Amino acid sequence: MLDFINPYYLQIGSFILINILLAVSVYVPLSSGQLSLGSAGFMGIGAYTSALLTINFDLPIFLGVLAGACLAGILGIIVGLPSLRLTGVYLAIATLGLGEVIRVIFVNWESLTRGSIGLTGVPQIGRELLNLVRGFGFEPSMIGLKNNQFVFLLVFILLFLIVLATIWFVVRQQNSRVGRSFSSIQMDEKAAESMGINIMYFKVLSFAQGAFLAGLAGALFAHVMGYISPSDFSYHRAVEILIFTVFGGSEVIIGSVFGAIFLTLMPELLRFVSEYRYIIYGIMLVILMAVRPQGILDIHLLGRFKGIKRSKGGMR
Amino acid sequence: MDKLLRKSFALCAVLMLLLLAACSGENAGSEGATGEQSGTLNAKIGVVSYLTGAGAAYGEAITQGLKLAQSEINEQGEVNIELVIEDSAGEAEQALSASQKLMSDDNILAIIGPTLSTEFFAVAPEADLNGITIMGTSTTAEGIPEIGDYVFRNAIPEALAIPTAMEKAVERTGAKKVAMIYGNDDVLTQSGFETMKKTAEDMGLEILTIETFQKGQSDYNAQLTKIKNTNPDLILASALYNEGAVIMDQARKMGIEVPFVGGNGFNSPQVIEIAGDAANGLIVATPWFGESEETKVVDFNKKYEAEYGELPDQFAAQAYDALYIYADALKRAGEADRELFHEALAATEDFEGLLGNFSFDEIGDVVMDVKVVEIKDGKFVEFE
Repeated sequence: MLDFINPYYLQIGSFILINILLAVSVYVPLSSGQLSLGSAGFMGIGAYTSALLTINFDLPIFLGVLAGACLAGILGIIVGLPSLRLTGVYLAIATLGLGEVIRVIFVNWESLTRGSIGLTGVPQIGRELLNLVRGFGFEPSMIGLKNNQFVFLLVFILLFLIVLATIWFVVRQQNSRVGRSFSSIQMDEKAAESMGINIMYFKVLSFAQGAFLAGLAGALFAHVMGYISPSDFSYHRAVEILIFTVFGGSEVIIGSVFGAIFLTLMPELLRFVSEYRYIIYGIMLVILMAVRPQGILDIHLLGRFKGIKRSKGGMR
Repeated sequence: MDKLLRKSFALCAVLMLLLLAACSGENAGSEGATGEQSGTLNAKIGVVSYLTGAGAAYGEAITQGLKLAQSEINEQGEVNIELVIEDSAGEAEQALSASQKLMSDDNILAIIGPTLSTEFFAVAPEADLNGITIMGTSTTAEGIPEIGDYVFRNAIPEALAIPTAMEKAVERTGAKKVAMIYGNDDVLTQSGFETMKKTAEDMGLEILTIETFQKGQSDYNAQLTKIKNTNPDLILASALYNEGAVIMDQARKMGIEVPFVGGNGFNSPQVIEIAGDAANGLIVATPWFGESEETKVVDFNKKYEAEYGELPDQFAAQAYDALYIYADALKRAGEADRELFHEALAATEDFEGLLGNFSFDEIGDVVMDVKVVEIKDGKFVEFE
């Protein structure tokens, strides 16, 4: 009866949630006018840090993930400071370069990262959680679930909570003094500065937040996959993450979320056409970008939805 | 603007509906029961392969080899194998999703693939945990069969192939000093390099220089100039064929005439196509020697060419053999049961395949003889 809890669906679900985190990690710097393509690199930092700590020092996954995310955040601050001078395309290229540098370090630091072979045997969240609840004398069969169903369900729920908390935080921040400063910087840096906003502080803050989120997503990715290699954090990934945000709509956070869900689901739904699925995927991207260059969701569209709701409410 | 909006949404909606419809259609179709009927054993084998993206040629060769073997096996009538093929796009995540999809289908007996070692490392532990046999046909990196009980491979690991090639090459050329070049951002070429280096040290060869390159690089003059200045007797190149062929071409143009010893990824007829005469002098060890005069190889070449209009490479041959090994194990297992099948497969011994006499060792790795071949006058010939 609980067949719908299919590991396959839950696995896709988990990847979607991780991708949402990644999309948000691009969205946050973008909301202060900084286009960062370094997400893949920060993701790699988070993933490798957490994986190495948990493998070599038997650290609990929870601490590993936190350490991975924090290290990525700190690197975000360090990189964010000098790159303040850069804007627009220049910043994008610099961060893209940073991502590649990080990946090349993973490839070449063989004594630590085992080079391009990657790290195997990264402890997986689900299995650790299963062992934990077993410690309390709980068995998945008690609620009619198979072991692996239970494991995947737990991972999914955990990721869901993390994503929910992240989105809640970002939305709350947007409506706060910090968020207003971000958007004023995005609109016009000079004007914002003349209004007394500390540009340096807020720009580094949003950049570091993006790095932190990417690191968090990377660390979670490592513990969901159980195996990481530098090829997981290549240029390819950076572009993929950017597309989530740009495709879904970069003006509103819901756009990033939508983009990540849609673009992760698409290749899976298109499985039945096997070889042709990426052709269709590509065509759809081209069409949608041509029709809606600002992304699928934007403020006007959301405003209209709200307008409809309001007018309906008025009718009643 | 409004019109455009509505249109794009309509398009979106239609596409989604189409997708949903197609998906449900497929599910309904694959409900076929696995069991015995009129003496033939039915089994569904899942395949995860690299069918879209930069390395799609590998996945295509593999699936073509599998399909050829499937039609032959099914014709013989003892077992009836159905292949369920999923694409992995060369990414570990996608490979994991695809195999999750296969594994959640209770009718899937066992899995073949994924293509790349990086994908395999992500997928195999999951399959092992679920008690589903998985076999790699092209995964030559170190540490693969060690993943678990249910993990096998029939691809010759570099640790077996490269030393054989190097020994034979050194024996004939009397080389004492070697230069090395390898791609350091690929699992296959990196683990190939490690094997080469270890073997060179064991054999007491002097390593003059070690150069690296990255996937997709097109200019190797810097590395080759260095190599040329050290004046080696032999060049050990751990490269995939696309980069390797270009390296050889540029090396010959620069006047480096010494032989190259390559790993498994370097072994492809494509090298001759890309590098032409410059490919002469490449020595590789391979399980698959396409120019062989043996009847089974000639037959396979003929059938493959008739079916697909091109000659098979080692990936096609290994995949072809893999399905035969599975079919053989299935016959011995007597029924399409995951556990019985796993035991039967592990007991595979002295299986006479296309590539030669084949057995698994106790951890599920390959035991077989390798041939050493070289390119001479624009053709692969057996190395003497």
